[in-house]
Amino acid sequence: MSLVLQLLMNGLIAGAIYALVASGFSLIYSTNKFVHFAHGSAVAVSAYFLYLLFSMFNFEFFLSVFLVILFAGAFGLLMDKAVYSQLRKRKASGLILLIASIALLILFESLILLFFGADVKTINLIKVEKGLEFFGAIITPLQIVIIVTSIVLLALLFVFMKRTKLGKAMRAVSDNKDVAEIMGISSTKIFAWSFVIGSAVAGVAGILIGLEQNLEPTMGTNLMIKGFTGAIIGGVGSVPGAILGSFLLGLAENFGIWFLPSGYKDAIAFVILFIFLIFRPQGILGIKKQGDKQAGA
Amino acid sequence: MLKISKLHSGYNGNEILHGIDFEVRPNEIVAIIGPNGSGKSTLLKSIFNLCEVHSGKIMFKDKDITKLPTHDLIEEGISFVPQGRQVFSDLSVRENLEMGAYTIADKEVVKRNMAEVLKKFPFLKEKQNDYAFSLSGGQQQLLAIARALIQDPELILFDEPSLGLSPKAMKEVFEKIQEINKEGISVIIVEQNAKQAVKIANRTYVLEQGRIALEGGKHLLHDKKVKNIYFGGE
Repeated sequence: MSLVLQLLMNGLIAGAIYALVASGFSLIYSTNKFVHFAHGSAVAVSAYFLYLLFSMFNFEFFLSVFLVILFAGAFGLLMDKAVYSQLRKRKASGLILLIASIALLILFESLILLFFGADVKTINLIKVEKGLEFFGAIITPLQIVIIVTSIVLLALLFVFMKRTKLGKAMRAVSDNKDVAEIMGISSTKIFAWSFVIGSAVAGVAGILIGLEQNLEPTMGTNLMIKGFTGAIIGGVGSVPGAILGSFLLGLAENFGIWFLPSGYKDAIAFVILFIFLIFRPQGILGIKKQGDKQAGA
Repeated sequence: MLKISKLHSGYNGNEILHGIDFEVRPNEIVAIIGPNGSGKSTLLKSIFNLCEVHSGKIMFKDKDITKLPTHDLIEEGISFVPQGRQVFSDLSVRENLEMGAYTIADKEVVKRNMAEVLKKFPFLKEKQNDYAFSLSGGQQQLLAIARALIQDPELILFDEPSLGLSPKAMKEVFEKIQEINKEGISVIIVEQNAKQAVKIANRTYVLEQGRIALEGGKHLLHDKKVKNIYFGGE
């Protein structure tokens, strides 16, 4: 029983982080309509920026967190304005933008390697302490913070998309960019806002994972694969779908090691990714709508 | 109120319209008919700055609007109802209307316009929390019209409003357009369904290969050439 609970906890913790990565990725995909793999860079760069501010420059922790989130948003905006917007102006297709995003992912991975080196870094905020026992499962206070932060932030993101004018405009552009333009909604601005908000959420993911695990230059790529898988499982372009898919992935990975050696954790993600891409590419929440192809009244 | 002179426009460097002179007087319904590819939609898109204007001038209420961006055009009092029942299908009916009012900064004005539009379209009020994709084709077109009306326009551009609608829905849409016009809003309507359009219009322009071939009033309904080419020889 306690093993089930432990795996459930571990699955939720992993899912909470994947969901933060996947929701920002899905938000950017839904409006921009291309696969922004460099979203993983926003996670990695944020984690290292926290290391720089907090561990190297000894900034106060909450100030560091605040600056990292601002930095992540600006980092997303920079990628959009310096690369994607320029390519779009030259009428680049989604495939070209995808290739550019892979290039950005590799570029920032290499830059991290250049400035911080290949050895793992650790942010020592909290001393490693014995976790709390919770019906036989062990969970550390930091892990509780991760789950709570993730859920609160995802709920806020959901409310933002449903209730605010900007959130609704993002959904409108995602739905039909041309008509949104006719309503006076500038899609260029909405693209940029998606990058700012999506990347800021990725920044939070970077902070949380930086506190929980070690920092490695390749961490962005690894998390991007998980976030991407979560987004595909749930239905790409749907933020609630991405969240659902990510938690399912986190749980599947952790319950999978009940049967398999833990080294196969990443393989589980890939197998699930392939299964969904082949059999249900629209994801769990990607329901084909009746009204779409309905002709006449 | 709208005056276009010597308009040349098109897409990606290709010229579709070759020197159009066109006018809408206050409170008129003006129809644009013509075969496929004659440039009917391009003419509407030129007014709304959705294609490239190579040369020529578009004046609205004595103001040059040729290069104005979309949100400025909406503020000037021009609204556009795009072709093919284009609603935001994943947004609710009410959110669709809110997006229509996107450029209006004053929340009180949005509220007032929203109440007015919902009064004019009672079924939208009933279905305001439903997703737009759940509406029928005719209802979606009416929602697209309501979404333009919430901008409180003086001139509405309709691009093929009857496209893909059942005869019953088509009739309803045409009635709505006439109703809107009676309230003092000028209308430009581009239509495949030429006969219906000429019937409700005060004046009609016939477009052929990017040029105006003919212009006239309701007498075009009985014009032999127009009848043969555009009304299927009835």
